[in-house]
Formats: sequence, C-alpha cells, structure tokens
Amino acid sequence: MSDDTCLALERLTLAYGDTVAVDALDLTVKRGELIALLGPSGCGKTTTMRAIAGLLEPRSGTIRLEGADITRRPANKREIGLVFQSYALFPHLSVFENVAFGLRLRREPRAAVEAKVAEGLRTVGLDHLAARKPAELSGGQQQRVALARSLVMEPKLLLLDEPLSNLDARLRLEMRAELQRVQKASGITMIFVTHDQGEALALADRIVVMRGGAIEQLATPEEIWNRPASGFVAEFVGFETVLGLRDGKLDTPAGLVPVSGDVPAGAAGLAWRPGAVTLGTGPFEGEVLGVSFAGESREYLLDSPLGRIKADAPASLAMHGIGAKVAFDLPAARAAVLPRLG
Amino acid sequence: MFQNRREGLALALPAAVFACVVFLVPVAILLSEGFRGAAGFSLTPYVEFFSSPLNRAVFLRTLKLGALVTLVAAVIGYAAAYAIVNLSPANRGRVFGLVVLPLMISPVARTYAWLVILGRTGFVNQALTLVGLTDEPIRFLFTETAVFIGLLQLFLPLMIISLISALENMPRDAVPAARVLGASWLQVFTRVILPLTKEGLVIGGTLVFTGSLTAYITPAILGGSKVLMLETLLYQRVTVANDFASAAVIAMILIVMSFSANLLLKRLARARGR
Amino acid sequence: MKRNLSTVLVLGLVLAFLIGPFLIIIAASLSAGNSLAFPPQGLSLKWVAKVFTVESFRESFATSMFLAIFGTLAALALGVPAAYALNRYRLPFSETVRTVVSAPIIVPGIIVGLALLRYLVIPAGVPVMLALFCAHTALVLPYAVRVVSASLGNLRSDIEEAAVLLGCTRSGAFFRVVLPNIRGGILAAFILGFVTSFNQVPVSLFLSGPGVRTLPIDMLGYMEINYDPSVAALSALLAFMSIGIVFLAERFLGFSRYV
Repeated sequence: MSDDTCLALERLTLAYGDTVAVDALDLTVKRGELIALLGPSGCGKTTTMRAIAGLLEPRSGTIRLEGADITRRPANKREIGLVFQSYALFPHLSVFENVAFGLRLRREPRAAVEAKVAEGLRTVGLDHLAARKPAELSGGQQQRVALARSLVMEPKLLLLDEPLSNLDARLRLEMRAELQRVQKASGITMIFVTHDQGEALALADRIVVMRGGAIEQLATPEEIWNRPASGFVAEFVGFETVLGLRDGKLDTPAGLVPVSGDVPAGAAGLAWRPGAVTLGTGPFEGEVLGVSFAGESREYLLDSPLGRIKADAPASLAMHGIGAKVAFDLPAARAAVLPRLG
Repeated sequence: MFQNRREGLALALPAAVFACVVFLVPVAILLSEGFRGAAGFSLTPYVEFFSSPLNRAVFLRTLKLGALVTLVAAVIGYAAAYAIVNLSPANRGRVFGLVVLPLMISPVARTYAWLVILGRTGFVNQALTLVGLTDEPIRFLFTETAVFIGLLQLFLPLMIISLISALENMPRDAVPAARVLGASWLQVFTRVILPLTKEGLVIGGTLVFTGSLTAYITPAILGGSKVLMLETLLYQRVTVANDFASAAVIAMILIVMSFSANLLLKRLARARGR
Repeated sequence: MKRNLSTVLVLGLVLAFLIGPFLIIIAASLSAGNSLAFPPQGLSLKWVAKVFTVESFRESFATSMFLAIFGTLAALALGVPAAYALNRYRLPFSETVRTVVSAPIIVPGIIVGLALLRYLVIPAGVPVMLALFCAHTALVLPYAVRVVSASLGNLRSDIEEAAVLLGCTRSGAFFRVVLPNIRGGILAAFILGFVTSFNQVPVSLFLSGPGVRTLPIDMLGYMEINYDPSVAALSALLAFMSIGIVFLAERFLGFSRYV
C-alpha cells in the first residue's frame, strides 16, 4: 500500500439480513481524490457509503483508513464526515450551533470553536446566517450548512450522499462548482454517491460505476465517456444504441447484419450515441416515430428492423416528418467498442 | 445503526412487560372466570347470565341506547360539522375550540350538570312550573331519556370532530358540482357527501358507540339502579352480590365489542393508508 | 342569507347543548341557597368556599393530583423508550408490542380496576394506592406511546446518524438531538395523560380503600348523600383547571398539533 492511500476497501461484503447488497468489493482511493460512486438505485453504492461511515457493519472484508483497520471502529470514532442527502441538520439548533456541534463534543476551547465555525461558514458563504434556524434556510443553504458542519471537523474522508439531487437545476450547477472549489482548496478526500452520470462525469477525478453490488468499471470520466467497459456502462453514459457482435456481424432482432467498417478483434459489442448514427444514407431503413428540435440538432426516434434507434441530425438539414422512411447507418468507426456486452 | 434488535427490545420491553403484568394478565384471568364451571371449562356463567330477564334487558338497553345515541349524534353531527366547515377560518377555529372544550372537562362534572337541569328542582321543572304547564315536578332523572341525553352530550363532540375532518378532506368542488348537475340538497347528501365522508362517519360512529356502551358515570348518575347499563350492572353485581361470574361475562361482552370496533377502525385506517 | 341563518341556528343549538350545562353548573355553584337549583337562589361564593373546607375533597384532590402527575410521568418513562424503539428499530413482534402497550385504551377501565382488585390487591396484598398508581399508569401509557410516536415520526432519523458521525455516542445522540426535538410532543403527552388520568372514573371505582379515593370517585360518593351545590362548585373549579391547562398548552406549544 502506497503512502498516499486514503481509503482501502478489501473484499468488502455487505448484507441486509439474507440479501447480499455488496459482494467482495475492492477499492482504493488516493488522498485528495474526488471519487464518484455511480449507479442505478439498488446497485449498492449507498450501502457501501454507509459501511465506510460505520453506519452499517460489514458481513466480511476490511476497511482501512490511512492504513489503519477501522472495520470494527464505531462510527463516532472514525473521523469520517458524511453530508446526508436530506442534510440531516439539527432542527432545534441554529446554523452556528449545528456547525459547532461536533467541535463542542470534542471539548475544543470556546475560542477555537468560534473561530473554526466562523471559518467554516465563511468557506461556504453563509457567515451572515449563523443565527438562523435550519427551517429558515433554503435547500441550497441547508446543504452548505451540512457541508460546513462536516468540514470543520477536518475529517480524513468526506462522504456525500447524492449531494446535488435535492437542488434545482441552477443551484445544482452552483453547488457543483462550490464542491469542486472546496475540495481543491482543502485538499480533502471526497467520495460522493450519485445516480446522475452527468454529475459524476463533471465532478469526479475517478468514477466507480457500480452494478448489482459489484464494480462494473473504475476509470476516469474521459475513459468512461469514451471507452465504456460494458453495455451496461455504455447505456448509463448515453450510448442509446448497443448491439452485440457474433461472427464479426451485428446481432440484431432482424438477425445477423454486416457491420459498416472494421471491427477490432475480441470486441463483444458496439455502441453508438445518437450523434454517431448517420442519417439520410446507409444500408438500414427506419420509420420516424418522433422528432424533437433541440437547438443545434434534431433528435429522431426511428423504428427499424434493428429495434428503436435514437439518432441526431444537424438542425440545418431538412426535417424528416413523422412516418417518413429514412435511411441510416451505424458506422463502426464512430462506435465505442465494448469488451463485454452485458 | 438500528439493526441491533436486542437494544430495541430492551427499550420496548419495560412498557410491554408492565402492560402485561398490571393489565393483560389480570384481565385475562378475570375473563377466564366466565368460562369456569363446577368441573373445569363450561359456558354455564354465560347461560346463567342470559337466562335472567333483568340481565337480558340491561344488555338490550345498552345496545339500544348505544345505537340511538350514535344515530342521533350522526344526524346532529353532520349538520354541525357541515356548518362549521363552511365558516370563515377564524370562526371555524373558535367554534371548533368550543366543540372540543367539553372533552377536557371531567365527565363527572358534565353529567352532574344534568342533575341541575333535569332534577326535581332543576331548571326544566322550574321553567315548566313557572309557565304553568305542570304543578308537580316531572320525573326526568333515572329514566332512559336522561341517560340518553347525558350520553349524547358526552360523545357528540367526538362525532363532530370526525365528521369535520372527513368533510375537510372531501374534494372542494364536489358539492357545487353536484348542484350544478341538478341534484337536490337531499340528493347531494345521499349521493355525494355521505359516500365521500363514510369513513369519518364510521370512525365517529365507532367512538360514540363504544363510548356509550362502556360509559359508567352517566348511567350511574342519571340512570341509577332504575336504568342499569352493562357497566353499572357489573358494578352492582360485584358490590352487591359478589357475583364475579356475571362480572366476567359482562367484561367479555364489553371487551369483544370495543375490540371489534377497534379492529374495524384499524382496517379502515389501513385501507386509507393504501 | 338563508344558509347563513340555518348555520347560526344549528351551531347555536349544538353549542348550547354542549356548553350550556357547563354554564349552568357555574351558575348553580354561585347559589346562595342550600340545595341544588337553577336559576340560583341569590348569589354567593359560599359553596365555592366550602369546597376547600371539605376534608375528603382535599385528600382525594391530593390523591388525584399525585396519580395524574406521577402516573403520567411513569407512563412517559415507560412510553418514550417504547415509542422510540417502535419507531427507530426494525423489531420482531413490533405489532404485538404496539398492541400490548395500547391495549389499555381498548379495554374498559372498570374491568381493569376490577381485575387488579381481585388478582393483585386481595390475594397478593398489593396496597390499593400502588394498584391505583399502576392502573393509571397503564391507562395513560397508550397516549404516551401514541403522541410521542407521532412526534418521533415527524423527526428525521438521519439526524441521529449525523450526530454519531460528529462524535456522539448512540445514547448521546438521543439526548442531544432527539429529545430536544420531541420535547413538545412529550409535553403534549403529559398534558393529555394528566387530564385523562385526573378525570378518570371507571378504573378507580373498585380501587378505593380507607383514605385512598380519587377526586371523581369522592364526588360521586358525596353526591349520593348530599344535595348541595358544593359538587357543582367543585365541578366548575375542575373544569376551569382543565380548560386553563389545555388553553396554556395550546397557546405555548400548539397542543392540538400533537393530539
């Protein structure tokens, strides 16, 4: 284990009763990294996070924080922060007292508490609201308080549960920038859980895509965006058309179909984003089921023997009306090559 | 964090054990006396209880008064609840407060008031004598009517409260919509209001009915030994005759009735939860 | 206009029926005469004053107060942890536990009193006062569990996890972040329990002995022998006490939210 490892999960297995939620998970997070746990609901990402925080006892496996085995250490002695999805602010305490809560429990001197709380509130831009009660704050402000409350404890690791999901679109962008700024400024290691691929791609240094309690792919956002490891990941990051390969041909509902272009050896499937589908020419034909204008482009939904195909075409081109028959192509050169299909 | 069952049980156990020891077990033993004959299990106490014409009369009177109070409370309750719901919010709060107020007052005090009103030298008799309708004070006390009035006054608020919340949950425009479609007020009530507030009616009805069945103070003060109901009969059987078998039978009747009423309520609550 | 008139009429009659008797008690208790009558024969406070001189009233008032206060406190001591366990833990038999602790509300009080008399007081020699105390505690327990449960239900459970992650122990989290937030519910449960216990008759019917009588039972006994307005005066005083308590509770903590 290298010196800059913050968190290491070794063969971590988590279960609720008889249902195994996470199965023998291995994961290493470097100090200062921002990691996203990405996946649909029920994939085990939240369960993993709760186990790291100590809110859930693992069935087996080891959790190490900065080299120390903390698997059996109680949650209140782990020095790990968690920002809850619902923020979990204490309703009876003021913003100031919420942030001071943990520091007071540590019996830090009054002056130190006041200085740290003021500093923490300044970091999240809420120093002017210190006297308010949580109920008097907006959702975005509540989240900042929750963030400050965790940050002032100077945790070795900060966990965030769906940090942006309860905010509206504009606030979400603002908070995203805020999180990045805070993280870079404090150098704190962060792991956040999300089901939103856009959020994960925008924020994380590395993304852990989880599925059915196991890691499906662990890579940088660029890599996941361009080279999804499986059909599951591909569909998750916006490849709308995913087809398997058999004997060098596309395996479609209409049978085996020749691929336009060369296919690398060992590929299990190909995946296209809507923009990668060629519209107007090609060996296939589909009927337009729907078309919607999206500014730069038009988004088409085609019904074809290969299944339903989503395709984008520049808005400058003439529009195909609903019911029109349109030729299209799925060029191998513009597809992502999938090493696994499932 | 909350998976630790032992911790949870340790927290819940004292209350459960307490309820069992001072409550469930003694009551269960009492009930079992109703099934005890000379030689083990028997239904003799029940047979004997119901073979007495007096007991049968008390049983039927209790049911009759309970049903009557419930029925009249429902009729008055609908009128009152509808009127209250249609008040301005400020007035609604005030009137609602006045309806709830009696619930906070001791039933002894509330029932005692009827002695003052219906007694020989009470308000009603004085008024009647004054107007010259009667020379002799009329006997109101120790009649079923007095018990009925007392029970109605005691439990009417529960019905009104239940119906108010039912009416408040009714879609706002249901009544105007029905009127626009040509329904008479009677049709509005039977076709729209009644079906939509059925639940509130059942809840209120159960509360009033079980309350009337298990009332002690009102029949004791206003009915005396002339108008016995099940609870006053139970008290009499025990204190006068030391007759615990009859007491056990009456207890069983009362518990079965309240329990089934409660079951009904729970089922309703669950149906609404869905 | 017609609707308005009928509204006023209906409400006037209903309120007269519900509140009228209470007003009549007040009037009767201010009578200067020697027997119960309405309208009162002259005005005086002598019956109100007499209430305070009747020895048995003073004793039974103290008994009822003791039962209402400490019985409710005991019910809360049992009920708050139970409500917490039922709300926050996934317990086996939680439905059974809930039914057991709320059973006293379903079973008529007279039966409970009789059962305690017959199986605890007589054979086991349990003092009547203790039996009475237990009965009142059991009677209030369902209200305590229910009101505190409702209050806990409105409180997110993740704030406890947040407190633990900030360094609290489990029990510390309960006292630091749960208790302060359900204070209102606990107070509401206390008031509801107090009023219920204080006004309770059937449970106490069989559980009275030498020197041990609750106030309502004492009033019933007094009424059988005396026909003077002192019970009216006492009733009015008690009613004012209840109303006062509930009014203050509503004013300062929005009592009706919890009930």
